[in-house]
Amino acid sequence: MSEALSAPLAGRGAPAVPHPGPPMIGMAGVTKTFKRRDGGTHLALDTIDLDVAPGEFVSILGPSGCGKSTLLYIVGGFVAPSGGKVTVSGDPVTGPGPDRGPVFQEFALFPWKTVLGNVAYGLREGGLSRRDAEARAGELIERVGLKGYERFYPQALSGGMKQRVAIARTLAYGPKILLMDEPFGALDAHTRIKLQNQLLELWERDRKTVLFVTHAVDEAVFLSDRVAVMSRQPGRIKEVVAIDLPRPRHRDELLLDRRYQRHVIDLERMIEDPPDLAS
Amino acid sequence: MRAVAGSLHGLVGLAPIAGLVLAWQVLLTAGWVPSALLPSPGAVLARTVASLGDPAFLGHLASTLYRLAAGFAIALAIVFALGLAGATSRIADAALRPVIRVLAPIPKIALYPALILSLGFDDAPKIILVAADALFPILLATYGGAGAVEQKLLWSARAAGTSRAGTILKVVLPATLPSILTGSRIALVVACIVVFLAEMITSTDGLGYLLVRSGRAFQTVDMFVPLLAISAVGLALDGALAAARRVLLRGFPEEE
Amino acid sequence: MSRAASRTGAALRPGLPPFLACLALLLAWQIAARFLAVGGVPDALSTFRELPAIIGDREALGEIAASLRRMGAGFGLALLFSVPLGLLMGRSRLVSALVNPLLMVGYPVPKAALMPLIMLWLGVGDAAKILVIVLGVSLPIIYHSRQGARAVEEKLLWSAAAMGMSGPARLARIVLPAALPEILVGCRTGIVLALITMITSEMIARQTGAGNILFNALDMAQYETVYAMILVVSALGIALDVLFERLRSGLTGWAEPIPSPAIAPA
Repeated sequence: MSEALSAPLAGRGAPAVPHPGPPMIGMAGVTKTFKRRDGGTHLALDTIDLDVAPGEFVSILGPSGCGKSTLLYIVGGFVAPSGGKVTVSGDPVTGPGPDRGPVFQEFALFPWKTVLGNVAYGLREGGLSRRDAEARAGELIERVGLKGYERFYPQALSGGMKQRVAIARTLAYGPKILLMDEPFGALDAHTRIKLQNQLLELWERDRKTVLFVTHAVDEAVFLSDRVAVMSRQPGRIKEVVAIDLPRPRHRDELLLDRRYQRHVIDLERMIEDPPDLAS
Repeated sequence: MRAVAGSLHGLVGLAPIAGLVLAWQVLLTAGWVPSALLPSPGAVLARTVASLGDPAFLGHLASTLYRLAAGFAIALAIVFALGLAGATSRIADAALRPVIRVLAPIPKIALYPALILSLGFDDAPKIILVAADALFPILLATYGGAGAVEQKLLWSARAAGTSRAGTILKVVLPATLPSILTGSRIALVVACIVVFLAEMITSTDGLGYLLVRSGRAFQTVDMFVPLLAISAVGLALDGALAAARRVLLRGFPEEE
Repeated sequence: MSRAASRTGAALRPGLPPFLACLALLLAWQIAARFLAVGGVPDALSTFRELPAIIGDREALGEIAASLRRMGAGFGLALLFSVPLGLLMGRSRLVSALVNPLLMVGYPVPKAALMPLIMLWLGVGDAAKILVIVLGVSLPIIYHSRQGARAVEEKLLWSAAAMGMSGPARLARIVLPAALPEILVGCRTGIVLALITMITSEMIARQTGAGNILFNALDMAQYETVYAMILVVSALGIALDVLFERLRSGLTGWAEPIPSPAIAPA
């Protein structure tokens, strides 16, 4: 953890799709079945194979109910897979850990802690003294643009501010991987764009590995190096699309870029459900 | 602005109480009710004020408060122990829930004769009865609250490096605190009621005993004093708990 | 189809753990009484042997039945005015501001403690006992009705008003059904309270009823009878709670089951 804290990975080269050594995240044959109420089983995830290289930004794009969040929870170690294997830097995942930091759509801030207390939480758990933790937390709060709100409780903040606190809380303990579960799904369109830009800025600085779950095509194209498109029932990876857009990316330039438009149109077609056959 | 509107609302609320007192007075002045059965509000107020300077009365009040506090503390200790057991062990949780479900609707006051049989007529049976009656509202609220802790709060803490056992203290307990306090608020009222009743049924001191003693002597004025006193005790304790709640739960949305 | 199936399944399974819990508690009692031998505590078996004497005694049975009748009357009367008052409080800030302080002052007063006073006014008959029960159960019913009415979605009422429904009609036809789950939670608390108020007032008045039998047995040092009566009263409490829970889930199957604590102040 301290390694990531003290030595930000800023300035590392372009995302390495072919990468020697073990992938940062390896998913091999991951399946997840749920018991249904009538006693049958429901196949939520069907043999998912996906590798994510260090420093890569990969989105999982799919319609609601395709199991994309479940896949993220499995990588996080919150939910156990029914079959298959998940590795982080080659080591099998057995539970949650500070090497993988989650950011949830619901923010999941501790309501009994102030902004400062929330951001300092993971640092205190990592053994830092209160003073050091709060100093470091203060820096991160400033970095996400919330200086002056340290003593506020989450309930007094807007949705966008809450999510920035949640991102700061996760960044604070220096995870190698960010696991983002539709983080901007609960925000209004304007705030959403602002936070997407801010996330890219933060990411450009230290190039953490990001696994990003979303159902918004434009968001996935704007942010990602690669987009894994999932289909529903059972949840499968239909296709993995490399987004060959230069970085750093700027929204206004991208919107006029032919390649961006092409990706958006292609992906939109891909996630459209095929005409109902069986259901 | 808000404070003004709030105090205005408070004043509106005084009207029915004032009306009630007025109607009470009218009943007497018109001679519809003999003052032997219903003393005048002025006489009740005067006697209550006089009682506050009476060491004997204050002694009775102290007995009641002591039983209240002791019973409530025991209830809280049991809630803490059972809550911890339920939170750490699935087996304990599965065993405790049905037992609590069965015991909760039993009228605890019915156990009072049995408590007297085993523990005598002193403080002990009253304190235990208060504890038994205060226990379940807190326990049920605590279980409800602990069961409703948002999964993703737990996940966030686990990802930040908190151990599974650590989340009980660092996430489940603070997240459940609002429910615990809500349950305590109900339990406090219950405790006030029960301690009074227990003192009425068998006792030689306490507010409940005062009421019975005055009733036997047909001193109706004196019967009102302990009733007013227990109402004031309940309101004061409830206010104290509400204040504690505001301090402890600064981050949570206000409960009405 | 599947909903109905899952409901019967749910009705069967949750009954088992509480039943086992009852057995475990009785077993624990039996063992504790046998081996700890606390003074004045008979064991479970000899207490059960005492039960036929109470249930078979016509006089005792009649008194318990009379107690229950008063309890039912008090509960019914309380329901009649508490629900409309609570709903009104939930929908009108003024009514709420008017009535709330009165209720707050009355809340910590033990209603059964008014028994000696009320007996002075109304005599020792049924009227005094029923009035005490009415007072005892009305507060939680008013409180929960208010909470239920308050939570009714504003837009539901707007739609009704747009359709031309009058104020009182909206209260009866929109607010009442929408608040029903919460009202029934209040009723569940109220019914346990009614039982408690009934017993306590009988303990204090010492004329007739279940509470009186309990204390007469105590006076005559018939320990088994004391414990048998406690069993009877406990069984009544549990039975009323279970019955009411059945009724509630039947009436409000459309709503999420609110985990309703049967909180029971005396």
